[in-house]
Amino acid sequence: MANLKEIKRKIKSVQNTQKTTRAMKLVSTAKLKRAEMAAKQSRVYAVKINEVLSEIAYKINQYKGGVIESRFFDKSNAPKTVDVIFVTADKGLCGGFNIQTIKAVRRLLEDYARQNIKVRLRAVGRKGMAFFNFQGVELFTSYAGVSSAPNYEKAQEIINAAIDDFVTKKTDKVILIHNGYKNMISQELKITDIVPVEPPMDYSLESNSMMEIEPLDGGEEILDSLIQKYFEYNMYYALVDSLAAEHSARMQAMENATNNAKERVGILTLAYNKARQESITTELIEIISGVESMK
Amino acid sequence: MNTLKLEIVTPEGQIFAKDVKSVTLPGSEGEFGVLPNHASLVTLLQAGVIDIELQNGNHEIVAINWGHVKVDENSVTVLADGAVSIGGSSESEIAKSLDAAKELIRSMSNSDIALAIATAKIESITKSRKY
Repeated sequence: MANLKEIKRKIKSVQNTQKTTRAMKLVSTAKLKRAEMAAKQSRVYAVKINEVLSEIAYKINQYKGGVIESRFFDKSNAPKTVDVIFVTADKGLCGGFNIQTIKAVRRLLEDYARQNIKVRLRAVGRKGMAFFNFQGVELFTSYAGVSSAPNYEKAQEIINAAIDDFVTKKTDKVILIHNGYKNMISQELKITDIVPVEPPMDYSLESNSMMEIEPLDGGEEILDSLIQKYFEYNMYYALVDSLAAEHSARMQAMENATNNAKERVGILTLAYNKARQESITTELIEIISGVESMK
Repeated sequence: MNTLKLEIVTPEGQIFAKDVKSVTLPGSEGEFGVLPNHASLVTLLQAGVIDIELQNGNHEIVAINWGHVKVDENSVTVLADGAVSIGGSSESEIAKSLDAAKELIRSMSNSDIALAIATAKIESITKSRKY
């Protein structure tokens, strides 16, 4: 009889887990919708900023008939120090979401170690921080609590710290890694070189070459400030994109967990019924043999 | 009637996208107005308010904290960091958006003059506005 009770308790426990995972899945679904919307809306800005940036870059190129003298575009030097910004979630229970990013970071670390390039890690998100702390890998800076509630100001803070070091030549390259949202069921790891920038030269915009830049010869100034925005935007987008991906990953993980729990309940119920039948049979045998012995 | 296509976008989304009669922008070198068929230009904007004249003659105001504008013959694209549209269907909604706009400008501009100009402008436009 003890066995029966035991199984019943197990069933109850699995059912409770199932309730939790189902609830978490629903929460993630709702949050995913919001995060997806935010990502989609901010993409409008990306289109516009790319448009204006390429136009100005083109314009300046035309004036000077050559190169834009900005460190942001300078690709000639081989990097000696590289900043890697990587975005992970603040929370777990989302399948392989964080591990994928972490793996990519470790691969980069190994690659650069082989080339004798110094790497500084800037971690965003508690999970990545925890992992590298546990591994004993030094993090240059870390930001917690940003990835679960991204906003533009925080993104600015993170990227500007990295860009400042780049401008003052403490680093020669900045790379941004995040696990981005692809669709409801899959994520895509994205590794972006933030600086030096590939100038977005779209020469199809030649028709617009009558455009004036005001203040006159302030073209570089505008370009610089635009590029600054471009970096900030990239960072912000990485955060928003990562959040959407996190929720989609969690949704899937919780869906799987719910299904597994369902399966477990099925198996346990079968075992429970078997045990129950067994005990009934035993009881019957006892009664019958008792009656027999009375004869 | 000639119209301009005005778009105001921030990283958080599109704030405004409509055909308008004219628009007044707070340029870094001073305020300037744009009518349809304006010459193409690119310039920086400072913290301030964008005054938009809609097709029906009403005015709409959007406060920005920093920005960048691209003007073409028949379209104006504003890229801003933060933008707050001032308006709403009830008095309290308008007051709320007004406060948000003032806060936005205050957070960005370090000069009191810019804030005072922007605040005065917001107030004068809201007062003269027809509801």
